[in-house]
Amino acid sequence: MQEIIIGIGVTALAGALAAIAGAAEDTESNIGSQGDPNSQVQLAPQMGYTHRIYNKAVSGEPPAYTLWVTLACGVAWAFLMLGVNAILAIVFGTVLATFVQGVYATTAYLGRTASLSKFGQPVFIDVIKSVTTVTMAHAFVAIITTVTVCYLMMTVIGHPFALPLLGIVWGLALGAAGSATGNPYYGKERQYQNQKFGAGVPISASGNIVRYAEAGQRSSIDNGFFTAKFGGPASGLCFGLIVFFELWRTILFEDYLAGWGAVIAGAVIIIIFMIIDRYVEVWGRKNYGPYTVEASA
Amino acid sequence: MSAIAAKPGANAGAFQPVPSVIAIVLAIILVVVAYFLGSAGILAGGAMLVLQTLCLIILGAALIAFGVHFVPVGGAPAAMGQAPGIATGVAMLATGAGLAGLFGGAWAAELGLGVALASGAIGGALMMAITCLMVNISYVFGMGIPAASGKVLKDPITGDLQAAYKSQGTEGHGLPFISYVGGVIGGLFGGLGGTLIYIELLNFYNVGLPALGFVGAEGINMLAVGLAGIFAIGMFLVIAVLSAYNITGTIEGPHDPKFKRFPRAIVAAILASAVCGLVAMLVVALF
Repeated sequence: MQEIIIGIGVTALAGALAAIAGAAEDTESNIGSQGDPNSQVQLAPQMGYTHRIYNKAVSGEPPAYTLWVTLACGVAWAFLMLGVNAILAIVFGTVLATFVQGVYATTAYLGRTASLSKFGQPVFIDVIKSVTTVTMAHAFVAIITTVTVCYLMMTVIGHPFALPLLGIVWGLALGAAGSATGNPYYGKERQYQNQKFGAGVPISASGNIVRYAEAGQRSSIDNGFFTAKFGGPASGLCFGLIVFFELWRTILFEDYLAGWGAVIAGAVIIIIFMIIDRYVEVWGRKNYGPYTVEASA
Repeated sequence: MSAIAAKPGANAGAFQPVPSVIAIVLAIILVVVAYFLGSAGILAGGAMLVLQTLCLIILGAALIAFGVHFVPVGGAPAAMGQAPGIATGVAMLATGAGLAGLFGGAWAAELGLGVALASGAIGGALMMAITCLMVNISYVFGMGIPAASGKVLKDPITGDLQAAYKSQGTEGHGLPFISYVGGVIGGLFGGLGGTLIYIELLNFYNVGLPALGFVGAEGINMLAVGLAGIFAIGMFLVIAVLSAYNITGTIEGPHDPKFKRFPRAIVAAILASAVCGLVAMLVVALF
């Protein structure tokens, strides 16, 4: 019984940490412009719209976060093997991974932006100075929380995978969940804030991203400020739910029916989510209705 | 042939019998090579264990390749609400789900093959069920956009009309119910295939590592789990990327015409996994 209670506590803690990780990951990727919407940041100068948006999508979010989280897990594991205190080991690993993220971000911004020089897009040194450190700070939060989740899985819950392997699994899942949930909000709602609300961006508008703010040119840091209100928490909720239910169903139901209890519980949870999704879909169709052609004045 | 002449025509993605037969023959040759390596004692455990391991790895890879085609992926256009699907890459999303399944499967490995495979499949499906739900919540509550498919007039499951809910100048947006179900099925196959590869490799390494002689009894399990995990993840990525090439960009799910391309990806996965599986087993070869 005591084992189950500890397991449930750790599951709740891991879920909460994962929620923070997801929110920080999405905000980091939006400030650094790393997700799929960055295609528009890259396209804009080619269509004649030069801008001051950060541009570091030399890889997608999932492989990038796999690298950083696995690196942090690997270093933390090495320190743990040397007998270093777990908290210190995780911090050491995360600091190193964050520096790698900083180097990655800087070289990616320089490389991608310099490739647009023939379209008149300048490389802004002040953008590197002001934005890179902000993405690093968010990456630190995302990485340290994910490494802590992996550490809890390895030690308290007793998963057979070593810490770096868990880093690969959950780093990739973090990037996948964050980009899947957060990208549309950054791409449609922020980059194309000048388009109509409640409709997709017409393909003809591609590249015409919003480049100006209330005063002066738009900064990538403001993109993080904007998406942290919905895209970030939604990504956090997504990754938090994944980690929570993955652990919860196993810890609570694995002892029933020779292990099949966890499988049945998982199937029931999937069906519940499916019903919720159908409700959301129908709600959207009913409340927003079919699109109609605007009557000309 | 010039680049213009090589542009994909109407039969892009069609099944090509000659390269497929060559690929299958090459895969069979590799399986036969593995069999002889097993019977010659170079691979530990005997010919039958080697044969079973490689054949089930190939089966796992075929399941992954099939599953990837179910996952609704919209890529960059989906991030602007220009196309339906999830706004990320095919390979990465499928791998994310597959590895979440592998996590569950590896955890349940000691409870027997059936439970582990089922747990892996459910783990992958659960990851996709939550992700797809959050995508629709994001579209509907965050952006005020209903889900609509650009490839079919009616949702094959619910019968909902799609065209009227598609905003002007786009190919659709969000995840209609058929795409949601496709995502869950994709995660199911991905988790199942990944776990099958992991468990087969784990069993093989548990036999092969002691035969090498330089690993202590207490270190064998840890090393076997590590090796099997790394190779299973690596193979998952290989198969997911191959399938992503077959899909070329975006796919809405099982109702998308591109879904019919899956036999080609399965053939490619069979050959690729035969090569990768043989290499993974040769790591503990007794040369």
